[in-house]
Amino acid sequence: MDDINVAVLRLRNVLIVSVPGDPDDHVITGLQDKILNSMMRYRAKGVILDLSTVDIVDSFFARTIIDTAQMINLMGGRTIIAGMLPSVAITATQLGLTFENIETCLNVDTAFTLMEQTG
Amino acid sequence: MVSEVAERNSLKISSEQDIVLVRKTVRDVCRDAGFGLTDVTRIVTAASELARNIYRYADHGTLTWNMVSDGMKSGLELIFADQGPGIEDVNMALQEGYTTARSMGMGLPGTKKLMDDMVIETKLGVGTKITIRKWVR
Repeated sequence: MDDINVAVLRLRNVLIVSVPGDPDDHVITGLQDKILNSMMRYRAKGVILDLSTVDIVDSFFARTIIDTAQMINLMGGRTIIAGMLPSVAITATQLGLTFENIETCLNVDTAFTLMEQTG
Repeated sequence: MVSEVAERNSLKISSEQDIVLVRKTVRDVCRDAGFGLTDVTRIVTAASELARNIYRYADHGTLTWNMVSDGMKSGLELIFADQGPGIEDVNMALQEGYTTARSMGMGLPGTKKLMDDMVIETKLGVGTKITIRKWVR
């Protein structure tokens, strides 16, 4: 799906995905396709999901993130969520979202360092 | 006794795009009402869950919002109404992890936790009306 406005940037063999601020369901679903196809195309070892501009994560969005991380894992890659806003972290926790075992970082910078050091 | 203090406003929900519009509208209303960022995020997230439920289960419905007051407190009331299939077992739907669709089963119980009040009125084959309220702190 190429009609969605999601930036997937490659830095060395890591993909950095900038998730748009208030994505609709179509964009969220398209995001998954785009990430997985980019994983394949660039032979990436991992994906950093930059959520720093996302001000709402509802259960549908969270489910898609968790599913995508699982798919990336099946393809031999690693996922790190970076930059979640405090208000989103509070709300997601109260809503009952757990994000299972997905790794997290304060920002993209530390996520990239972690990916380089331990990947 | 909760009373209405401002004019009524509403929005139709009948597409995925409308879910985004609900979030945007509720965000603006919350800011005008004087909620802090975390409460705005809680309310907008709750609205997103209920708007998606309408789109997914009832195809279409409406969101109505009002500013309300109760003694010294003032707050925002959001009403999500549809003429969909109704909820068969409200107690079951309020249990975490219960879902009839591809989701996490967090929608209704999660929404309840994010808000101060939630009232569900539903009748099979007639529709569902969910009223949620948050008081400005």
